[in-house]
Amino acid sequence: MWGYFEWLIFRFGLLQGIAVAAAIALLGFLGCYVVALARYGPGEGFYRVTKVIYELIARDLPGTSWRRIHALARLAFQEAIRRRVLVVMAVFIVGLLFAGWFLDPSSNNIARLYISFVMTGTSYLVLLLGLFLSCFSLPADIKNRTIQTIATKPVRPTEVVLGRIFGFTAVGTMLLVVMGVLSYIFVVRGIVHEHGVRDIASDGMSGTTTYDSAHSHTFEMIEDEDGVVRRGTTDEQKSHRHVITVTEVDGEKRYTVGPPEGLLAARIPIYGKLQMTDRAGKLGGGLNVGYESEYQKYIEGNSLMKAIWTFEDIGPERFGDGAVLPIEMSLKAFRTFKGDIVTGVQGEIVLKSPDGRVESDRIGFIVKEYQLDHREIPRKLQGAVDGVPREIDIWDDIVQDGKIQIEVRCIDPGQYLGMAPADLYLRAGDSTFAWNMFKGFLGIWMQMVLIICLGVMFSTFLSGPVAMVATLTCLVLGFFGNLALDVATGEAPGGGPIESLIRIPLQTGAMVDLDLGNPVLETTIKMVDRGIMWVLVSLFQAIPSFGQFNTSDFVAYGFNIYGGLIARHLTMTLSYFVLTSLIGYFFLKTRELAAA
Amino acid sequence: MTTEIATEANTTSPETDSDIVIETRNLGKVYRDFWGRKKVAALKALDIQVRRGEIFGLLGPNGSGKSTTIKLIQGLIFPTSGHAYVFGKDARDVTKNERIGYLPEESYLYKFLNAEETLDFYGRLFDMPAEVRRERADKLIRMVGLHGARRRQLKEYSKGMTRRIGLAQALINEPDLLILDEPTTGMDPIGSREMKDLIVRLRDEGKTILMCSHQLADVQDVCDRVAILHLGELRELGRVDELLKVRDVTEVHAKGFSEELKQKIAEFIKNEGGDVISIDNPTTTMEELFLEIVQEDRPGARPSSAKPN
Ligand SMILES: Nc1ncnc2c1ncn2[C@@H]1O[C@H](COP(=O)(O)OP(=O)(O)O)[C@@H](O)[C@H]1O
Ligand SMILES: [Mg+2]
Repeated sequence: MWGYFEWLIFRFGLLQGIAVAAAIALLGFLGCYVVALARYGPGEGFYRVTKVIYELIARDLPGTSWRRIHALARLAFQEAIRRRVLVVMAVFIVGLLFAGWFLDPSSNNIARLYISFVMTGTSYLVLLLGLFLSCFSLPADIKNRTIQTIATKPVRPTEVVLGRIFGFTAVGTMLLVVMGVLSYIFVVRGIVHEHGVRDIASDGMSGTTTYDSAHSHTFEMIEDEDGVVRRGTTDEQKSHRHVITVTEVDGEKRYTVGPPEGLLAARIPIYGKLQMTDRAGKLGGGLNVGYESEYQKYIEGNSLMKAIWTFEDIGPERFGDGAVLPIEMSLKAFRTFKGDIVTGVQGEIVLKSPDGRVESDRIGFIVKEYQLDHREIPRKLQGAVDGVPREIDIWDDIVQDGKIQIEVRCIDPGQYLGMAPADLYLRAGDSTFAWNMFKGFLGIWMQMVLIICLGVMFSTFLSGPVAMVATLTCLVLGFFGNLALDVATGEAPGGGPIESLIRIPLQTGAMVDLDLGNPVLETTIKMVDRGIMWVLVSLFQAIPSFGQFNTSDFVAYGFNIYGGLIARHLTMTLSYFVLTSLIGYFFLKTRELAAA
Repeated sequence: MTTEIATEANTTSPETDSDIVIETRNLGKVYRDFWGRKKVAALKALDIQVRRGEIFGLLGPNGSGKSTTIKLIQGLIFPTSGHAYVFGKDARDVTKNERIGYLPEESYLYKFLNAEETLDFYGRLFDMPAEVRRERADKLIRMVGLHGARRRQLKEYSKGMTRRIGLAQALINEPDLLILDEPTTGMDPIGSREMKDLIVRLRDEGKTILMCSHQLADVQDVCDRVAILHLGELRELGRVDELLKVRDVTEVHAKGFSEELKQKIAEFIKNEGGDVISIDNPTTTMEELFLEIVQEDRPGARPSSAKPN
């Protein structure tokens, strides 16, 4: 996971970012030039495009006034309200009221279910709203000719575009705030359930709770240092625990079960780099078991295969007082024979220094499938330095230059353990759930802004329905944009469009190199393909990848949405806002507003 | 190509004569359809100049190109030939709008706003501060006689009321140039008369007015100069009194003639070599007659305090 500035520099900012921005600007300019060329001929066409750019910089940007933008935004807002966007709110509230009918309360993780439900619902409603508002507003104004009264005032095209974007964004923001607060209340109240105490062991130190909300817990009490038993915890069921407190009333001990804990988390994970060794113990291993997607790889039990995570920038200060190293993992077991299902597949963990000289003793575990396994490794533990056994300290001995390695092995012969890089991480602490949910809604907000920007941009030169189709197309391409990019950058096998076309009749597999018996032809095809792909890549990079903005899974799965991610998305949103505004300006400036 | 670029680049009129507010040169517009095929040649090679402080009328039947001319002058559509300049600036320069007030063919306003909100909104578009907007909106609402309806949404307004608020909107920036597209359509005779009085009053305050109409009476009553358009072509241009003067006919207005006297005069004219066309009692125009009757019914009813319909 990249931090914001790393990402800005390597991914978006200085190198690729500038290239992408330049490519988009060039494409835009070329596109405009082609349009102008068709209309006015080469010299005149070039002159006109250049003139528009000059006018933007020399006149219209300096002449843009906040008061006019504000007026137009306010009008857009009022128009939206008049179009009864509040119906959307009503739909949402009705949805929440009836959610109980179709959300299964016996689900394994009720919080995840509820959060996914409200966030998906909210984004669909808000995005659809943004789509409709932004695509139909300007065309309607042109059709009703109300734009004529506006365009004969000293209103700059920039202001028409910005006013609309801001106005609709304000409407959407208002709705999102209300929906967000309702969602939060819905989730927090939805997960609340109570247990009573069913029985208590004769020593008063353990017991079971009553069966409520499709589950019950067992619990154990803990003796405090002064020998008095005041509290205890239950086991983990359905991703949560309860705290049990004991009070003495009239000489009688009363046990109370607290509210569920751990359901609404916002973990701050530290991810590492994952490498695997093959059966000979060399790096670069890892197996596919056939049906898994490519990012999950397997290691075989009772072999030299192991998974090695390397974590960087680690120190005790990142884990509270550093008394323990909290690890969380969710590994997958793949069984080749159905043997001992009860105990499950066994594995072991070893902590290692990066130079390999210090290592801990093996820590065994049993795979908890589909559940998060949380374990806290104490700071001081048994291990070996250069093969000599002694007590070692995680921070003083194992961690070197802030780096630590964690090795995972599967013990059971014939069984496999599956994992992706994010399946084992160090848990550096927690953020608050409410703040995380806010950030999740911020993600929805950014998607909404993107759609509004695209919709307004398209509506400056297309009719309402066509603008909507165009925006939707961008959205769909944006969701699948990464796939197209993979093909384009050669990461997906099979080559570019022409090569693939040739492969169809030849029936050559995508993994085999193309062989036509003519190297010149092959090279030519590859070159042309690269050219086509360059254009496609430029186009695709011009489309925001909406999927990436959807951070609601972070919230639902209880992971903190880290600041770098938000900052990255904000930067991208801002870039697209600028880009779409410019294109919208260009079209408004060059079109006849009274021709309809 | 190069010559065309040279003329394009020339966005300001070389005629810096500040007495000319609007100038069109060889202005023409051909409407095309989606495929670029020629549909209508709505305006052909129009050359007019509107001078400071005059009421200039564009007169012509429906479809003669009046609205097209007005839209070209405002930069709402782009000419297919020639140029239009306003205050010496190219018609497509939005800064010229600071000094223009425009009343479109129908008042294209937002129906969900009320009169106050409408004027406030358009005031904001002129970047006017709040107090100025409030003060002017108040003044204008009274002036166009919408005081009683200032808080009602425009969708409840009658056609005449919509025209009035449209006019108020056009005056919010105290423009030097007022462009009115068919200002009296949809108004009853009283409203129409008030509108015309107002136009003359605004001219007297020093504003320049360009209006178009297909109603001869409108133009005749208020315009100083007219251009008569037909099928997109300029047919006649000049002062209204000059254009309407029938040079070879003499009119005599007198009272208390007997039939005998009329005969005598007819004979006298014939003897002197003249031609008697008719000797008759004059008729008045329908509009004048109607106004006379209506205004007699309501003594003391001053045009500006007339209630909206
Ligand atoms: N947007 C348009 N597309 C095609 N033809 C148009 C358009 N607007 C006007 N016309 C045509 O141009 C001619 C002049 O129209 P217009 O200027 O509106 O006339 P007027 O205002 O004098 O009634 C008419 O024949 C009209 O049909
Ligand atoms: Mg007209």
